[in-house]
Amino acid sequence: MSGTLSVLLAKTLTSSTFKQALIAIGTFGIIVSALFVYVYLSTSSYVRGRSDRGIMTEYSSLQGAYERSGRDGLIAGIQQRIADGNLASNVYLVADPSLVALAGNLREWPPTATAASGWIEFRASEALPNAANRPLLRAMLHTFPSGDRLLVGRDISDLDSFADQIRIAMFSVAVLLFVVAGVASILVTRRTVGRIESINATSRAIMQSGLDQRIPLRGTHDEWDRVAENLNLMLDRIETLMGEVKQVSDNVAHDLRTPLTRMRGRLEKAYHGQRIGEDDQALIGDTIADLDAVLRIFSSLTRIAQIETQARKGAFRTVNLVEIVGEVVELYDAAAEQEGTRLTVVGDREVMVTGDRDLIFDAIANLVDNAIKHGRTGGQIVVATENIDGKPVISIADDGPGIPAHEYEQVFKRFYRLEQSRYTPGNGLGLSLVAAVAHLHGARIEMLDNSPGLRLKLWFSAPIH
Amino acid sequence: MTGGHRRILVVEDDPETAGQIVESLKTSGYQVDLATSGHEALSRGGAGDYAVITIDRMLPDIDGIAVMRQLRDDGIAAPVLIVSALGEVDDRVRGLRAGGDDYLVKPFSFVELLARVEALGRRSDTIVKETILRVGDLALDLMSRTASRRGKDIVLFPREFQLLEYLVRNEGRVVSRAMLLQHVWDLHFDPSTNIIDVYVGRVRRKVDDQQAYPLIHTVRGVGYSLRAPG
Repeated sequence: MSGTLSVLLAKTLTSSTFKQALIAIGTFGIIVSALFVYVYLSTSSYVRGRSDRGIMTEYSSLQGAYERSGRDGLIAGIQQRIADGNLASNVYLVADPSLVALAGNLREWPPTATAASGWIEFRASEALPNAANRPLLRAMLHTFPSGDRLLVGRDISDLDSFADQIRIAMFSVAVLLFVVAGVASILVTRRTVGRIESINATSRAIMQSGLDQRIPLRGTHDEWDRVAENLNLMLDRIETLMGEVKQVSDNVAHDLRTPLTRMRGRLEKAYHGQRIGEDDQALIGDTIADLDAVLRIFSSLTRIAQIETQARKGAFRTVNLVEIVGEVVELYDAAAEQEGTRLTVVGDREVMVTGDRDLIFDAIANLVDNAIKHGRTGGQIVVATENIDGKPVISIADDGPGIPAHEYEQVFKRFYRLEQSRYTPGNGLGLSLVAAVAHLHGARIEMLDNSPGLRLKLWFSAPIH
Repeated sequence: MTGGHRRILVVEDDPETAGQIVESLKTSGYQVDLATSGHEALSRGGAGDYAVITIDRMLPDIDGIAVMRQLRDDGIAAPVLIVSALGEVDDRVRGLRAGGDDYLVKPFSFVELLARVEALGRRSDTIVKETILRVGDLALDLMSRTASRRGKDIVLFPREFQLLEYLVRNEGRVVSRAMLLQHVWDLHFDPSTNIIDVYVGRVRRKVDDQQAYPLIHTVRGVGYSLRAPG
């Protein structure tokens, strides 16, 4: 069961729905991230801008004081501001040209503030009232023409933690979004894969065992149920049509055989009649033989058609290929001997397949028959039955002229005959029957050059226990 | 197959084919009754004592297999030869499973039909349990599975022995290729080539070469017959 689950999971992860969901999540993620970055940047620059404007206001007012009343005016202004306590998060510092602090709420001139003027951010060297330990400060520097220096700044730790909060919030939302989207797409995909898998399973079952299977409905009346309903209707239709075709061919078989039986009866009566001459008798004998040949072709065609409609799966049993091969080889032994051909069997002792014994016999018999007929007179035919990687395989190899590679596919067509074997007895249906039997058993046919000759392999699937 | 037990019931709805079958069976010395429908077959089959019954699979009223089942249920034990236009293995197997003793596909040669009827008729005779079968100077030891002519052993493969045994058991009767395939190899298929002829040829060489007279004879167009001269 866990195996089935992991297969289902693997199918989920490789399914096209899931890949599309991933692409959607990716695109969505990029857009959301861009939006978040924009919101973050604009929010933080707005907040920072406000703080910077506050600093600038203080700075211009203190600069005004300096211009009006010199250094003393500046110091007075600063001290008044500190005493006020209104703007507790502001920092001020005045220093002389040698950077000795004269007034302000910072103990010393920050060592990083070396520039004559401009913006600076630094961590305070001591704690400030109403502020965290060693707060982060942003300040404006100015050097007066006298060489005195002014620093006006503000504790921006809050600002910083505000930005952090925005970042954390946005990151959490993003992670949550991805997780939710990921889980949702896996669930949706699994549902889709599950439904498609049930359609696939039914299709496979139909290909293997005939048209009596239908795709199960879930009763949800969703689009999947509608697809399943339509496919089932289609299957019903195909089944009806095939039933009709079979009925028609049965009727044709019956209706044709009745007149043919009469015909054969009359010919036979004439053949055994006393009044006719020897020439006439030979003529009638040949006609009977031809009629029988026609009937044999007719019967082979019906048989192939019947095998192809998969009507014979009911007779499937677990059988040993080695035994069947043994019987075939025994049957054809005398025929091979007559051709001076050596017919040998090699391979494993037990090669089990699930199938119809009579049909497999028929197929192997056709292949051995072909090998004897089309192989080299006085040559060698090797029939091998083996288990290769858990798969039952039978191979029939001769050392005759073989088949040109471009005709490998052709020879399985009905009535197809190679130019070289145009005058060998046969009706061109043997390999069609082999192909039909192979298809019924889900076996793969492989044609190889045996240099010289042909090696034909039938790969069965492992037996069902 | 001697004595008065040579009555055959033929169940066949096509008048011309029925006529031909009846004629050829009569020529071979059988008494033949004809039924042209399932109902007629049931009433005749139930009343008469037949050596063999041949039933067409497709009758106008009742299916041939149903007729056969009904006859079996009525306690009729006569061997049944099913004759049908449906020649496929499935139908054949179904017919045999339903209680048929042999199966013949239309169109058939009358010699084949006769051979089948002969073989079936013999089955309803008492089968003598013998351990040594003899035809002319040929002896088959069924226990040791060996064959000899004039006391000289003939080396045979097991299948060759089976083939010879089948021919000997049907001594004097015609045995068709299909019958050999069915009874010696237990196969119901139609080999496209002459493998049976080749096989019989090999047995024939072993049995008949350098002997006073041949035992295995070819019956043109049908099969073989094993008989001693005279």
